[in-house]
Amino acid sequence: MKPEIKSILANLISLIIVFLVISIFLILIGSSPFEVYLAFLDGAFGNTDRFTRTLLTTAILSISAFALVVTFTGGLWNIGIEGQLVAGSIGATVIARSFIGETVAAPVFEILLGSLFGSLIAVFCGILKVRTKVHEIFGGLGLDFVAAGVIVYLVIGPWKREGIASTSGTDIFPDTAWIQGFGEYGLPIWPIIFALIIGASLLFCFKRTAFGLRLKAVGSNPESSQRFGIEPSRYLLYAFALAGAIGGIAGVVQATVVYHKLVPFISGGYGFLGILIALISSRNVILVVLVSTVFACLLIGGTQLQLKLGMHSSLSGIIQGLLVLTWILIKASKLDLKLANKILARS
Amino acid sequence: MGNFEATLITIISLSTPMVFAVLGETISEKVGVVNLSLEGSLLLTALVGFAVSVISGYALIGFLAAGATGGLIAASLSVCDVKLKMNQIAVGFVLTIFLAKLSSYLGQEYVRVPGPYLPSIKLPLVSEIPVLGEVLFGQNIVVLLAIIAVPITWGFLYRTKYGLELRAVGENPYSADARGINVARTKFIYTTIGGILIGLGGAAFSLHAKFGWSDGHTTNYGWIALAIVIFGGWNPVRCVAGVYMFGALQVLAFKLQAVTLGLSQVLPLIPFPLMILTLIGIQIANQRDVKWIPRFVKVMILGNQPQSLGITFNKDG
Repeated sequence: MKPEIKSILANLISLIIVFLVISIFLILIGSSPFEVYLAFLDGAFGNTDRFTRTLLTTAILSISAFALVVTFTGGLWNIGIEGQLVAGSIGATVIARSFIGETVAAPVFEILLGSLFGSLIAVFCGILKVRTKVHEIFGGLGLDFVAAGVIVYLVIGPWKREGIASTSGTDIFPDTAWIQGFGEYGLPIWPIIFALIIGASLLFCFKRTAFGLRLKAVGSNPESSQRFGIEPSRYLLYAFALAGAIGGIAGVVQATVVYHKLVPFISGGYGFLGILIALISSRNVILVVLVSTVFACLLIGGTQLQLKLGMHSSLSGIIQGLLVLTWILIKASKLDLKLANKILARS
Repeated sequence: MGNFEATLITIISLSTPMVFAVLGETISEKVGVVNLSLEGSLLLTALVGFAVSVISGYALIGFLAAGATGGLIAASLSVCDVKLKMNQIAVGFVLTIFLAKLSSYLGQEYVRVPGPYLPSIKLPLVSEIPVLGEVLFGQNIVVLLAIIAVPITWGFLYRTKYGLELRAVGENPYSADARGINVARTKFIYTTIGGILIGLGGAAFSLHAKFGWSDGHTTNYGWIALAIVIFGGWNPVRCVAGVYMFGALQVLAFKLQAVTLGLSQVLPLIPFPLMILTLIGIQIANQRDVKWIPRFVKVMILGNQPQSLGITFNKDG
């Protein structure tokens, strides 16, 4: 039997089990799974406005998860992703508030500076790791909160609105500094293009370039890659730089497409969600996009739960958590492979 | 009662939940397990503690139930680590996000609901000691338990055979295994005990320091506790000192709120850069084998990271 068929079957089995677990949970809390799923679908795709928001969220989540694909490939736990998103949004705001913000070139510079800022904060975490052996989880977590402190300071300090210092955000950016949507409904064409470009570049990078191969080698076995003349610490820094730049772009999109201003909680938690998405996509770029779509449905569709079924919107988050938890448990216990073997043996 | 004494009582009292949480996480990390579910665990156990106390009518029952919940969460994390050989960071991280959301969902009915208070106690004799007596021994049982837990944890870790085994597993599980220590069992037991303490910490929020339940009741305290454990160099006494420093910062931030909005928002984030600085300091001191720093200073501001922290023990290779 071909190994691909077995792997597809195993993934299908995992999907069914995850679906069952979530359905059982929904029944346990006294609701009908069918109604809940329908509400999610309606909330995510029910009209053009919702569909647009789901598309936009899918794009941002994909970009954020792509950043994690890079670091996971290098064997790194980039918990600093939230800080990288924040840094990116700060970079975008610097441009939007400067004289460039009034010109048509604003979006280009916002992306450049945003990805630079994201990259810098990530590389700092990387330097802490390779030079002073500060584990990237602690370094990243620390920098996340440092970034959170900086953004709060900026919003209520130097960049406060005229007369009022409040955590509700800075002034709205000038129109020129927005990355505009397309057509009447503001179809988020640019975020989608960014996601596609980044995804395609990563695919190419991992499949076709020496850099991709070396990063994979460093990620799977740093000791032996060193013996082959690959300097692991250098590649870890590259991975951080690249991931930070990508995460920064996700932050730029949050600032220039979603909020059109800087707010303290600009990341929306999408960095951490990106970790979850990359985790269950097992570093596969195509899977990242699929899983991001599912998560975007859960996020955007979740608002309808409250309106339609009177259910708390946090249910959406629980389902996301349950999904990831069940998935990684199935994979760790190899339950899916065992079941797939049984089915294949019988047929 | 003087102003100073009152401030001291506030600091000690407000810090109680973090004392439990930080001690729990320290024990867990000493045995080599990063319990990254800390943030979510605190939220869920804060809710469980409050909800159970509302239902049963006794705050102490809620307190114990929260401890049991924290233990259960940590035990599941440990099973994933020890049995399934899963990456503890991944499991802990997913758990944190899941449990946080679970707490908002299950907590809907308990938002701003009144509930029973913990019985206050006054130990005879010791509470009569001027200044410190009232501060340490004149409050409620949870505050007292937290204070007692500090020397017990320290004594257990550094002065008992079991504590030695625990640290041995955290440093090098393979040589511990070679010496006949049951690594899997040791990791499971102490991660669970750590979890129980974390659970008590959660309950100490909702039943004492920040009474009641609201959505995201203990948000970010879990991450802060994680930072303080490192800032404290994995030494329970220093960790708790860090907790009290943080408590003092918070009281300061609260008092400054009227003066400057910015500073009071940023002060609670100070443990994070401190955590990074401590880690850098530890590394530099170890790398260069710095002689000119007296040993006593090293113990005070640096510390030793358990060598197998975060790594899954896999005997078969």
